[in-house]
Amino acid sequence: MKVLVLGATGHVGSRLVSYLHRKDYEVNAASRGRLSANTPGQIKLDSLDLEGLTHTLKQVDAVVNCVAGNKDSIAKGAEILVQAAIAAGLPKIIHLSTMSVYGGHQGNITETHAFDPNYGWYASAKCEAESHMEKYAAAGGQVVTFRPGCVHGPGSHLWVSRPANLLKSYRLGDLGDAGDGWSNLVHVDDVVKAIELGLSAPAQAGESVHYNLSSPDSPRWNQYLFDLAEAIGATPIKRLSRQQLLLDSKVLSPAIKIAQIACNKLKLNSKWLPEPLPPSLVRLFDQQIYLNSEKFSKKYDFAYQTYTQSLQDSLNWYQKL
Amino acid sequence: MIKNISSIPSDSIIQTDICIIGSGAAGTAAALSLTGRGLKITLLESGTDKLDKNTQALYAGTVVDERLHSPPDKYRHRRFGGSTAIWGGRCMPFDPIDFEKRDYIPGSGWPITFQDLASYFPKANQLLEAGQYRYDADDVFGMDKPLFKGFRSDNVLTNNMERFSCPTNVGSRYRRRLELAEDIEVILGANCTGIRLDATGAHVTHLDISSLDGIKIKVVAKEVIIATGGIEAARLLLASNDVCKTGIGNEHDLVGRFYQCHIAGNLGKLTIFGPTSNVRHGYEVSAEGIYCRRRISLTEETQRKIKAGNMVARLHFPKIVDPSHKIGVLSGLFLAKNFISYEYGKRLKDGHASLTTYLKHFKNIILDPIDTVKFLYHWLTKRTLAKRKFPSVILRNKINQFTLEIHGEQYPNPNSRISLLDEKDTLGMPKTKVDWQYMPEDIESIRRSLNVLSEEFRNSGIGTFEFDSTQLEEDLTRFGAYGGHHIGTTRMGTDPESSVVDANCKVHHVHNLYIASSAVFPTSGQANPTLTITALSLRLADHIAQKLSAPSQLNHSRI
Repeated sequence: MKVLVLGATGHVGSRLVSYLHRKDYEVNAASRGRLSANTPGQIKLDSLDLEGLTHTLKQVDAVVNCVAGNKDSIAKGAEILVQAAIAAGLPKIIHLSTMSVYGGHQGNITETHAFDPNYGWYASAKCEAESHMEKYAAAGGQVVTFRPGCVHGPGSHLWVSRPANLLKSYRLGDLGDAGDGWSNLVHVDDVVKAIELGLSAPAQAGESVHYNLSSPDSPRWNQYLFDLAEAIGATPIKRLSRQQLLLDSKVLSPAIKIAQIACNKLKLNSKWLPEPLPPSLVRLFDQQIYLNSEKFSKKYDFAYQTYTQSLQDSLNWYQKL
Repeated sequence: MIKNISSIPSDSIIQTDICIIGSGAAGTAAALSLTGRGLKITLLESGTDKLDKNTQALYAGTVVDERLHSPPDKYRHRRFGGSTAIWGGRCMPFDPIDFEKRDYIPGSGWPITFQDLASYFPKANQLLEAGQYRYDADDVFGMDKPLFKGFRSDNVLTNNMERFSCPTNVGSRYRRRLELAEDIEVILGANCTGIRLDATGAHVTHLDISSLDGIKIKVVAKEVIIATGGIEAARLLLASNDVCKTGIGNEHDLVGRFYQCHIAGNLGKLTIFGPTSNVRHGYEVSAEGIYCRRRISLTEETQRKIKAGNMVARLHFPKIVDPSHKIGVLSGLFLAKNFISYEYGKRLKDGHASLTTYLKHFKNIILDPIDTVKFLYHWLTKRTLAKRKFPSVILRNKINQFTLEIHGEQYPNPNSRISLLDEKDTLGMPKTKVDWQYMPEDIESIRRSLNVLSEEFRNSGIGTFEFDSTQLEEDLTRFGAYGGHHIGTTRMGTDPESSVVDANCKVHHVHNLYIASSAVFPTSGQANPTLTITALSLRLADHIAQKLSAPSQLNHSRI
């Protein structure tokens, strides 16, 4: 099977490409900019380039959309992908979405739960991207959409090195009821395996299926933060109040973010700057959303990696950084 | 879901699987454990989020001897989260010996063992935010941080420790979990005024519920859990006397009796030789950020050998009220006593101090400015402003001299009791009369234990411990019963003739009525009760779920 991977240099994309190679897929690993020397099948492709994309899609059986980035590359990118795929003869699309489409909803969330596109730019872009996928199915295409929780494991800055850095400076810790939300962690390799299962599964024309992805034994954030802190020696952890988190995310972190942007513009090193704590992260820790991922595990008899295994894997990667 | 009873029409009947009365440590733990098992849970709470004067007044009652026990509306809060709104946060499990029948303590012996509760303690510890369930200080902090450098003894332990909760108010901490749980309905402002049995007296048909605004509803539940604390549990059983004339479960006149708190006092003089660094008298902080502190206790073998009840001792500072300690911080506390809440200021108020005493305290502050300012800064940042609060006043150890703060087990005494008055509260419930008593055995047991401590310090050669034996009873009863520990009033046992509930906390002869409270503890042990209450409540939740053939908790509901 011949597969095009969009966003192939990203966290999930890069792991996916090597996994598919091992599984004897013929892979076109597409990305906008950087190409690395030792990955076969790499191509340079802007996913916003309708013509180029259509041309490439004509040569494959399926495409995996792992494109990240800003609102445009996510929402507009999905729209263009769907147009291109229709023009290219309806290859199967595996679309990597996110649990953020459920926005601020709390409780036990299954795939049929309503979307909440007003929950910030990311949720809005991801909801829009999914709506394009539905149009693709309506046009006769086959789509498998995955909505993972927080993808951790090796290579995850967002859910491993970022919280670890914040724990080291005691800007995260025991958050009390502000950290009572479920972490919905899922190992990047589980996401990759899920995508492969999506690729290989038979599908009907016009069919669109959706799966949440999250390890069912993921703990609440407080537990994850403590386990991480203990493993990296950032103990004793501190009990932080909501006010401290708000002050950090709304006052200190925007200043750090501005300094980072300024450094990057001036081509200065910004590594010395502390880690920003975005308000969206503070909001997530507080959100009691349990991403129910049974639909996928039941359908494919899939055993998610246990929390303990994934944590160990994440730590092994982090400690080599 | 959380609602107020005012949103329910009067005369409504609520059908549910499990009704829990009271949202304190016991009730909230049970609800959180029962959710996600396919059952419908109704959690009734008399109060609301904030303390309300009229609701709190429902706790009013009398005490027989005001010197020995505080009024029943103190140390208890009738509000969402219950008395965890004001607790001190001290956590430690009961010891295995506390569950044993000891022939030297009449009425001792639980129908369950430590092992029966062991698997519930870690979860309880987590719910109360006291960190990991590890209570051996040598294991948590290593052998290189002993309480006393070089202290060796076969009879006295110094590796037992206590951990401190934030202190966590389970109401505010777990409010959202209860709110989001689709199978839980929390009804605020709902007071249970009666447990109604069928004619056989073996089955609860319904509960009578009233609000202060006159709304009256009924709750019909398959299983009922009373989680209203040690005083109210007895009150509710005794007041529900329409079918059982002496009150539910009271066929053998046991309900309300054997009322125990703890025997506590600050006494003696412990002197440790050598530099002050030989003593670690303050708090250690564990990896999870928990304040922990070692205590002094006797091994179980030694307790059996000297036939003494369980007891712990903590290092304490000199008597605050006596200005001769010349410590500015203590004098400051003394002068501030009227600004400290009743529950925490009680032990600072010892008789009437003369003007000279006040002046001497004032002088202490003036002459000890650096320590006083340091202390105030620490208190402000680590307690007043902190979410995890520094648990208590710890002073700089200047001279290696301490008093011991004793917290000891009481011998169960049928004459120490909670009973009902003729006078009624605004809901028509009879008020309570508290007649807390202690026995000479309580004091003598502690005397024997203290003598062991004296001997062991002398033998170890690292210091001395002396106490005035003639003053012991006075020292241990100066402030009366230790506040807030309400134990034994519906004791657990296998024999209905000597106990009120069975090993599953079920009222004997009533097949659907349970009690989750320190009321069921047959004996008081050395430990503050909250952690064990919570563990017992989690065990009860499992038992009831099993009885109703409910599965174990679904993933998204797990605690």
